[in-house]
This record gives sequence, structure tokens and C-alpha cells, in this order.
Amino acid sequence: MERQEIIDGLLEVLKTIRTIDPARLVGVTEETDFLTDLNTPSTELINIAAKVEHKFGIEFDDDDIDHMGSKVKDIVDLIIAVKARGEE
Amino acid sequence: MQAAGRKVAVVGMGGAFPTCANLDDFSDKLFSNQSLIRQWDKAAAYGKQVRSVVSGYITEEEMGLEAVLAPIAENYPETYIDTLGRIPDGNLATADMGSIWGMLGALDSIKMAGWTTKETQSEQTGVIVGSGGAGNVVLRIAWHHFFEEGRKSRIAGSHTIDRTMFYRDAANISCLIKNRGVCEAIGSACATGLGNIGYAYRLIKFGLQDRVIAGGLEGTSLETFIGFDGMQVLSKGFSPEESSRPFDMNRNGFVCSFGAGIVALEAYDMAKARGANIIGVIDEYFNNSDGDGDMFYPSFAGQQRLWKGVMPDNGLMPDVVKMHGTSTPVGDSVELLSVVDALGESGYHVSAPKSQFGHMLGGAGSVEFITALLMLQKQMVLPCLNSVNLNPEQENFQKTESWTGPKEPLAAYRDLIPQKAFAKEINRVACLNYGFGGTNSAMMVSRDI
Repeated sequence: MERQEIIDGLLEVLKTIRTIDPARLVGVTEETDFLTDLNTPSTELINIAAKVEHKFGIEFDDDDIDHMGSKVKDIVDLIIAVKARGEE
Repeated sequence: MQAAGRKVAVVGMGGAFPTCANLDDFSDKLFSNQSLIRQWDKAAAYGKQVRSVVSGYITEEEMGLEAVLAPIAENYPETYIDTLGRIPDGNLATADMGSIWGMLGALDSIKMAGWTTKETQSEQTGVIVGSGGAGNVVLRIAWHHFFEEGRKSRIAGSHTIDRTMFYRDAANISCLIKNRGVCEAIGSACATGLGNIGYAYRLIKFGLQDRVIAGGLEGTSLETFIGFDGMQVLSKGFSPEESSRPFDMNRNGFVCSFGAGIVALEAYDMAKARGANIIGVIDEYFNNSDGDGDMFYPSFAGQQRLWKGVMPDNGLMPDVVKMHGTSTPVGDSVELLSVVDALGESGYHVSAPKSQFGHMLGGAGSVEFITALLMLQKQMVLPCLNSVNLNPEQENFQKTESWTGPKEPLAAYRDLIPQKAFAKEINRVACLNYGFGGTNSAMMVSRDI
């Protein structure tokens, strides 16, 4: 799965998070930070993680989420790593 | 002990009322003797599992709200969309249905009060709002996915706590209006609505706050309805509009309903100085406990002490007594006889708004307080709908040796109990509410003349 494909899927998830202003989703890059750039409440990150699991058919370990950074690239990296883990 | 303090005015009101588009619609329907109680198809769908199928419920659509169901957890209302754009999405994300009604009522109350943003966001502005039950609609599905389906705790999302915690309504209102003063919730079962207003009144009376958004509510919840249905305390066997029948001989239970009543209170002198419209002036609030160790059974002695507390030789004779009047067999008769014991057999009328919209539980006291304010505004007494036949014989408890109250049967007080709304001069209304645990509360509210 290409990184851009994952970002597109992630954007679909972010559009369903109603505490994120949709206007801020225009021009999201891998360097975009959920907390500082998207102004996402920190409590919302777990909702994003749960919806990402559902969207990509994966399940994070609790440790994965505990140590996840707040940038788009962090969650993209994690999705790729968890998918690879599942394919081993 | 009575203590002197500042006068407190009511300067705004709002809320959520079954079948009503707004407060004016609510007022029009009440004073034209209409019932807001309907058959609840959502309950009736459970067939013989439930006993009662009538309610004064409010749907999401009727409040201009739309549930967003979570894609990862079946039937879980992850959040709501305000189709009328009144509340920001960020605030909706932390609220259950009842909290949203509370926020809408707070906005309407502040608008009616005419408070500026600076006043609203002051350290001297508080929020005191509570509800009777937990956030059952949210909890039920969250728990199901964890306990029954064995899924991760995060499946229910990160808002299970803020959407269900006891003071969620106050917290959500406070986060919306950004006040900097007190934010708390008072819980006293079916006296919750009046209890919150009473506590808010005391905060202003004793100088701790200048303004308070206060009230109580109960969001529509089939889970809550089922709890009461299981107690066999709900009305059964009548058409919806005839189901709530306080004081009538054939009453057999209350109608479980839902709604929200929010008011804006302000130090009287401050409200007067800025030219605010004074809807009512709170003369006194008093609350106590039965002290007999009984969770449910009403106490005549407790209510006698309640009246002494709210009317301690202060000349506050009410023109109307807004009754708790639930339509339960013992509760109504003890309450009426305690009123007669305190006020005598004439010179006032009793009004039972639950006869028109049922028992709103945590919202009952505050919505009914709003009906008292409407009576002061309209100079009309609201009816005791369906109180058609009053018992011509003594109640069983009146025949016991331990009974110290009036000996006349309820039928002797027919003249006190109007079956239709009517006009009369009303300068003061007494408001009564009681709750499980033997808690009793009373408030006197007057016209500003």
C-alpha cells in the first residue's frame, strides 16, 4: 500500500472527526501535526486511532498507540509497520 | 435558621419541551389545556417486555439534531449534528442528548436575560445544572461492546466519561458559555431541577455569585424508562393524554417523560439597575429530608416541616401551589393533605403541570418552575388535567391512629383543583418537588411589583 493511499484513507477518517475543522484538512502533508496544525483535542487521538484500525483492517497494540507521535507521518509509519507485522 | 441576604431575580428561561418547537409553543399548549404525552412507539416495540407505553418524550429531529453513528461500533451515537447551527461541533462532541438540551436552554436564557459576553464570562457567573440519571444511552452501548462483544475499550471512543459523568450538563454548558465562576451539579432525584435552582439562588443570595445559569433536565432515554417500568410505578391502561391524572381516583402511576428547564438568575438590584425584564423574584427556598428511613414512601411530617421552612411566619401566602403531583396513588394524597394542613382549605389553587407533560424526573422541578413563571406572566392557573373524580372516602392512611393530618377525603377539596386553565390574580406561586431518598424541596416565587 502506497503512502499516499494511506494518507488519502487517513483523510477520510479525519473528515469524520467533528472536532477537527474541515477547512484545516486542505493541504495536509506528512509533516502536519494533529495537535498544533489541526488543533485536534488530544483526547481525540484515540478516536482517530480506533477509526484507522477499522479503515485499514488492522489492530494496534496498546504500546503502539501510547508511543505514537502526533504528526501524520507518525501514524502512516505505524500503519505500515502494523500491516507488515500482520503479514510476517 | 433564616438568614438575610440579597434578593434574587429570574431574568431568563429556556429548555426542551415534548412536542413543542420553543418556549412560546410550550406556553400556548399548556394554557390551552393540551397534553404533551404520546404513545412511545420505541417502547411499544418491546411488546410484553414493557408495561407502560406512554411518555412525554422528545426526539432528536424535534430538537433539530441528527445522530452521527460511529462506523466502528454498531448503533453508537458518536456525536450529534446541530442542523440549525446553534452549537459548535467541538461542544457537541462532549455532550449527550440531555446536555445538548441544557446548552440550548442556557443560550436561550442568556439571550432573554440580555447578559453581555463580559457578564456571561465573568468570575461572578456560575452554572448549576444537573440531571436525574446517568448518560444511559451512551453507557449502554459502550458497555455492550466491551463486556458482551469483548472489544477494546477504545471502540467506544474517548468521550464516554465526559458524555456520561454526573455533572456533564453543567460542564458542557460551562464550556460553551465560558463562565469563570462556579460550575457544579446538585442531584436529588426528582427534586433535582428545583434543587439546582435553589442552590443557585443561595449562591446569589449570600453574595458568592452575581449571576447563575441554573436548572435540571432528563434526556430522552428508553433505558431510564425501562428502569421505572420495572418498578411498576408507571401509568397504564389510559389513552396517552389521559394517562397522567394527579389526584384522580383512578390514577395508577406516573408518566415517565423527558425535558429540560434552564433559568438565568441574577442579583435583583443588579438586574434592576441595568433595566432587565424581571420574570420573577425568588422569595425563599427550603429543603429537608423525611428522616424516617424510607427511600420511597412520602412523609406527611417531612412535608409539614418543609412548609414551616419555606413559610416561617413571613407572610408569603401563595395564590397558587405548583404541586409535585405525579399521579401516583399515595404521593398525591399525602401532598394535597399537607398543603391543606399548611395553607387551609381555601384562598389558593393547586396546579399539577405533570398532568400535561408527565414526570420529567431530573428536569421536573425546573420545567415546572418555568410553568410557575409562566403562570405569573399570564396571570392564569394551569390545570390538573384528568383530575375528574376525587375520592369521596378517606384514604386508608387517614384512618390510622398515627395520622395527624386533615381527616376529610380528597373530594372535600374539589374547589382547590381546577381541571382547566383559568385567569386569576397571581402574585406568588409555591413550587414543590420531592425525590427518592425522602428529599423535599420548596420555593416561593413572586411577581415583581
